[in-house]
Amino acid sequence: MRAVILDGMVLGLAFGLLGVGMTLVYGLGGVINLAYGQIVVLAAIVISLVMEDGVATVLAALVGVLAAAGVAVLLDLTLMRAVYRQHGEERTLMGLLLTLGAAFVIGGLLIWRYPAGALYINVSGEPVSILGVPMAAGSIWASIVALAVGFVLLLFFGATTFGRAVRSVIQDETGARLVGVNPSFVRTVIFALSGALAGIVAITQSMSGPLTVNAGFELTTFALIVTVVGGLGSVAGAFLAGVLLGIVNSLSAHYIGQYITTIILLGAAAITILIRPRGLLGR
Amino acid sequence: MANTESLRLGRIGWGFLPIVVTAAILAVLPSVWFGDSPYTTSLAVQALVFASYGVGFNLIFGSTNQLFLCVGALAGVGGYGAAILTDQTSLPMAAGVIVGTASAAIVGGLLSWVSVRRSLGIIFTGIVTLVFSLAFANLLLGQRELTGSETGLIVTGVPSDLGDDRVGGYYLFAGLLVAFLIVFRTLQHSHFGWAFRGLRDNEVAAELAGVNVSRYRIYAATIGSAMIGLTGALLAYSAGFISPTTYSFDRVDVRVLVFVAFGGLGTLLGPVIGAGVFAVLDEQLTASLELREVLYGVFVIAIFLGFRRGVVHAVVALFDRLVGSRRRAQPDLQPSRE
Repeated sequence: MRAVILDGMVLGLAFGLLGVGMTLVYGLGGVINLAYGQIVVLAAIVISLVMEDGVATVLAALVGVLAAAGVAVLLDLTLMRAVYRQHGEERTLMGLLLTLGAAFVIGGLLIWRYPAGALYINVSGEPVSILGVPMAAGSIWASIVALAVGFVLLLFFGATTFGRAVRSVIQDETGARLVGVNPSFVRTVIFALSGALAGIVAITQSMSGPLTVNAGFELTTFALIVTVVGGLGSVAGAFLAGVLLGIVNSLSAHYIGQYITTIILLGAAAITILIRPRGLLGR
Repeated sequence: MANTESLRLGRIGWGFLPIVVTAAILAVLPSVWFGDSPYTTSLAVQALVFASYGVGFNLIFGSTNQLFLCVGALAGVGGYGAAILTDQTSLPMAAGVIVGTASAAIVGGLLSWVSVRRSLGIIFTGIVTLVFSLAFANLLLGQRELTGSETGLIVTGVPSDLGDDRVGGYYLFAGLLVAFLIVFRTLQHSHFGWAFRGLRDNEVAAELAGVNVSRYRIYAATIGSAMIGLTGALLAYSAGFISPTTYSFDRVDVRVLVFVAFGGLGTLLGPVIGAGVFAVLDEQLTASLELREVLYGVFVIAIFLGFRRGVVHAVVALFDRLVGSRRRAQPDLQPSRE
């Protein structure tokens, strides 16, 4: 039982990290980035290619994170400019469709060029015993990274001027403009941040098992579920939702069975939308 | 008075002209184009199936703004419902088709009822229906005894002249598509069409003008889902074999969304034109599935950046500009004559 819950928390932190990048972009102007999973995969492929050239893992990971951030900025400067000219539901819908198109382009090109591409980062080290439960070193590292990222993000949004500027755009775009915040610059920065987070997801996901080239759609789906359950635009909500869903996932996988588990997760998302459309911590 | 009445009837008659033309083209297409080539026939059947899905989706999304990302799942409810019924009992195909269609209509109506009751916007309706799609796909994989999981299900009780590579299947789906188009246009000309236009242009204003927006939404979703379910059920019998991929999200929903948007949301012939264009595109791009996906992506981006309201609207706008002076003169003349 204790092992199952700990497993769930490890998985949940990974879910949370996955959801954060999507929730930030949504909070900042109502765009759900459906290409998010494909950007994660892109980072993974870049890292694996750089590692093949004999570059140290840490350096390769950095290159991957930068590449993902670069692609995200490129998306923002090209497609998203047209999207942000729209307002309300029109904007959300157009964002949804354009990022879906981008997902096809990125995913299709990657699968076409690297059909067997995959990233696996082997974390050496003895299993660590936590509360008497042995945990794989890779999972421990992935969880530490996720916690650190969550902490840094909360600090960034809570205590820095730029973080407050971002929150002002989230709350009221026109108001933010009136007090001298440039929403379009803020959005570009957040897109870059979201891309970098996608790169970090690629690293942590591949620490516990290989991340294959066709994982994009599944990653996007889970990110979407976490985002919706946690509350669109809320960093803490994404992590809370991630951990809750992670624990639900491993409990039901352990006691009921794997195939029902996915349905339970999906059901949890649907029920959250119906009972509390703003999500756990959404405004 | 009689004059305006005949004018109105005349306009309704003209409204059905595109359907007559489509029906005529579909009727002669086999003899002038693909004849007895099984490969081309199966491509044409596939295009017709997708066009039929498209009309249903267009009724739900194009007319009442409900983003149903579960076209594949609804078709699957129809298809698997029908196939499982004829597999488990010895009932004939007709019973399977009726049960499959009714199940899809009920599921679609319920999804719409839930999203209307909780007043979910486009996005949340999209997410709820997407979640339903994924859950349905998982259910298909899990219920091994009933659905055969990934290996699929051989559909029993199929009439012998309905095979996928025969022209019989082609005419079945051509007839189905024409029937759907007639239903769609009839709805547009009835009080439904008036409500649809109202709630698409300005929902609040429509509500204030006395249009029961929620009820029309649920009606549209139920009828559209019945269309999708009926198509899915007939596809199951025509193909003789179904598997989760027949109705999967990435095979059905993504395509339907793309080509209906390409053709023109809310237009009568948008789904037909879109399905036709994408069928030709598929035939040209048989070499690489991945590159086809890339091209789809480019298409989607181009459509929504460029002519966002679809081919039909673009052509109508061009036509208006070409013959603009004459067409614009007419409405000015008419009131003064009466």
